[in-house]
Amino acid sequence: MSRARFALFSIIPLALAAAFVGPGTSQSQSQTPKSGGVLNMMLREELSQGFSIHETSTISTVWPAMPCLNNLVLFDPLKKTESVDTIIGELAEKWSWQDNYRNLVFFLRKGVKWHDGQPFTSKDVKFTFDMLREAPDAPAKLRINPRKDWYANIEAIETPDTHTAVFRLKKPQPSLLLMLASGYTPVYAAHVPPAEYRTNCVGTGPFKLKEWRKGEYVEFVKNPDYFVKGRPHLDGLKYFVIVERGTRQAAIQAGKLDVSFPGETTKTAAEQLKKAVPQLVITPFSQNVADNIIMNIKKPPFDNLKVRLAVSHAIDRRALIQAVHQGGAVVGAALAPKPWGFWGLAEKDLLGLPGYGAKAAEEKALARKLVAEAGFSREKPLKVEIVTRAIAVYVDMASFVINELKQVGIEATLKQIETAQWHAMATRGDYQIGANLTGVGPDDPDANYYENYACGSPRNYSQYCNEEVMKMFDAQSQELDPKKRLALNAAIQKKLEADAARPILDWKLDYFTVWPHVKNLIPHQSIYNFGRMQEVWSDK
Amino acid sequence: MKTYVIQRLVIAVLTLLGMSVVIFTLLRLAPGDIVDILFSTAGYVSPSEKQAIMKELGIDRPYWVQYVDWLRQMLSGDLGKSYRYDQPAWQIIRPLVPVTLELAALSTLFAVLIGVPTGVISAVRQDTPLDYVLRVFSLAGLSMPAFWLGMVIILGLVTWFAWIPPLSYVSPAQDLKLHAVQFLLPALAVGYRSSALIMRITRSSLLEVMREDYIRTAWAKGQTGRVVIWRHALKNALLPVVTVIGIEFAFLIGGLVVTETVFNLPGVARFLVQAILWRDYPIVQNLVMFIAIVVILSNLLVDMLYGVLDPRVRYGG
Repeated sequence: MSRARFALFSIIPLALAAAFVGPGTSQSQSQTPKSGGVLNMMLREELSQGFSIHETSTISTVWPAMPCLNNLVLFDPLKKTESVDTIIGELAEKWSWQDNYRNLVFFLRKGVKWHDGQPFTSKDVKFTFDMLREAPDAPAKLRINPRKDWYANIEAIETPDTHTAVFRLKKPQPSLLLMLASGYTPVYAAHVPPAEYRTNCVGTGPFKLKEWRKGEYVEFVKNPDYFVKGRPHLDGLKYFVIVERGTRQAAIQAGKLDVSFPGETTKTAAEQLKKAVPQLVITPFSQNVADNIIMNIKKPPFDNLKVRLAVSHAIDRRALIQAVHQGGAVVGAALAPKPWGFWGLAEKDLLGLPGYGAKAAEEKALARKLVAEAGFSREKPLKVEIVTRAIAVYVDMASFVINELKQVGIEATLKQIETAQWHAMATRGDYQIGANLTGVGPDDPDANYYENYACGSPRNYSQYCNEEVMKMFDAQSQELDPKKRLALNAAIQKKLEADAARPILDWKLDYFTVWPHVKNLIPHQSIYNFGRMQEVWSDK
Repeated sequence: MKTYVIQRLVIAVLTLLGMSVVIFTLLRLAPGDIVDILFSTAGYVSPSEKQAIMKELGIDRPYWVQYVDWLRQMLSGDLGKSYRYDQPAWQIIRPLVPVTLELAALSTLFAVLIGVPTGVISAVRQDTPLDYVLRVFSLAGLSMPAFWLGMVIILGLVTWFAWIPPLSYVSPAQDLKLHAVQFLLPALAVGYRSSALIMRITRSSLLEVMREDYIRTAWAKGQTGRVVIWRHALKNALLPVVTVIGIEFAFLIGGLVVTETVFNLPGVARFLVQAILWRDYPIVQNLVMFIAIVVILSNLLVDMLYGVLDPRVRYGG
């Protein structure tokens, strides 16, 4: 029965996917692309740091900045699944792992020019990645460097000639390539101060910045010197900043916008849009963003594993998905579950984790037992303050969690924290328990674990630190056999949930909406990696 | 008159100085600063990096130094640099000002064109069915927030015509017709609410004046209704109406936040809210000062108009 129920919850989003996707998505690959046209797109807020992707961790920067930049490698824009097999070269024509995955050699394209006419060389690659890993002799420093940990394993970057770059690693790390393929990893120009990317975009990408009218729009035009012949297909892109959600939805419904914002369209909104404009093409996909609970492991009462596990057992994930997301999310552990992600645990494994069982009543009974074992009772109840960001999506989730905790004897009060204070508070560990959202760039274990669960990482808000688990992180990172790596990751995910390190409540789905004339804009299993727009064309 | 204006301008300068202290202090009292927001977009905080950025932006200095620096900059015509955009604040603010001024002026115009005639009709036809209808109309305007009406207009347009106004600012030089449409709809939404207030003030003020002896005398002399109402009664009833119009216009300069947001117009109010959320002190401080200047000037203008409308009003000095 429980299996069947679980299977039902897994099948529902897939069935909806089949119902939503209209003609014009995958079929578009078989059509001959047309040249010309300008795509109108939306931004839900102003670019927070201009085009400086390396200084932010938000899709609001990555989405509009990607078209003017390039990576060394990128997840194939035409394939919806991101994996090591779907990585294609961008500024790197070829690459090669050497010395048992300790050296990664990139053979760079020749004749590539920056938008200001300067030639692209291996100097730019070294400049970018020395800056990112904060090498002692790095010629520049970023003002804010949120993904420094991604590059911690790089020992040196060598440039034997102008079109070869060698990444020397401290230990084998096959998944480095996946992080380099993320939208978060563009190459900056060595001759441009990094600060300039906050106001201007000097890239090598398929589109050149035409105008950024502050608070209003960002406009790009086709780069006629783009190194991929025949690309891009479009003449230009225009991203309108529309702060009001109702106006954004009306704009796409009226056809003023061709494409929705990744991570923006809820299931309910998608259903409304489809009803109003049946020809819209709606594709559900994983945002690679998880609702989760952060508990400060350094402070009572959450230094007690029983209390943490009680919280995890108390929250009925499936009810939360229905109540808060109207079905627009799926159950999963530390990594997004299949088919939405690549590394997530299988259904049978998930069902055995604390709080993931299909019978909510049994889970709650276990939670009550753990609360009692931790020394709390009706006379001496466990009282906690749950913090969350003062944003609707956070508050909705937190309110649901409070109600769940109440049912197992944990009395929680809600404290909303302004965005300006949230990360400072979480990094300092100045809280007991919090309702949080975590987005991960590429769907890859390294990018997730080292950022959110590793000892000492500033984004490890729970301050969970387990040396045994750290060794497991390193082991999976160095594992060359894909099957073994998958198995290691399954073990890690089980361990993280068993330790209630950061109980995951659900993985959110987005219902990406485009007009049928938009072709080759294919959502991946992460919102952060498919914004290059090089292959997109308009059949208008 | 000249002395009066000079006196008012001196008071205005003192008011602005007071405003500068208030806005400067309130901004610093709000939790967090631009550096916290920057780190929030990166998802972590590093105390050493935070200190470096604070130093770069000059917000690590004592508050009084920052305040004096700002005043000095303003007096020299330099509005400082936006923390968020790393560009001169004036470059950011300049394109916003005409958008808001135009929208506020157009909304006020609509409000007057609707509010004054309906107020007069309502007063003249007191306690008739027409009066009741107009009062319900005005009450509805007062009860409906402009942003709600704006959203209803947008949803109505998209549902029935599959069309909405442009998503970015269209200048009159680019396309006059589109520009007019872009501003008419939000101006109607805002103007309707303001017109309701003007209508009610006009009605009550006119009813009061209509009971005056000189109006009775005018009727007794056999003057036509038009002359009595428009020349004698309305002129004398207009003082409170003009006051309300002035206050409404001044309020609209900073109060169009939601309307500008719903209609996606790049004006002062919408940008101000974004700047507050980002703790972009130079932008917020200077925009608030701009709004304060408009409020002071419009009040001054209203006071001057009193003398024009009512010869009994004389200015000292």
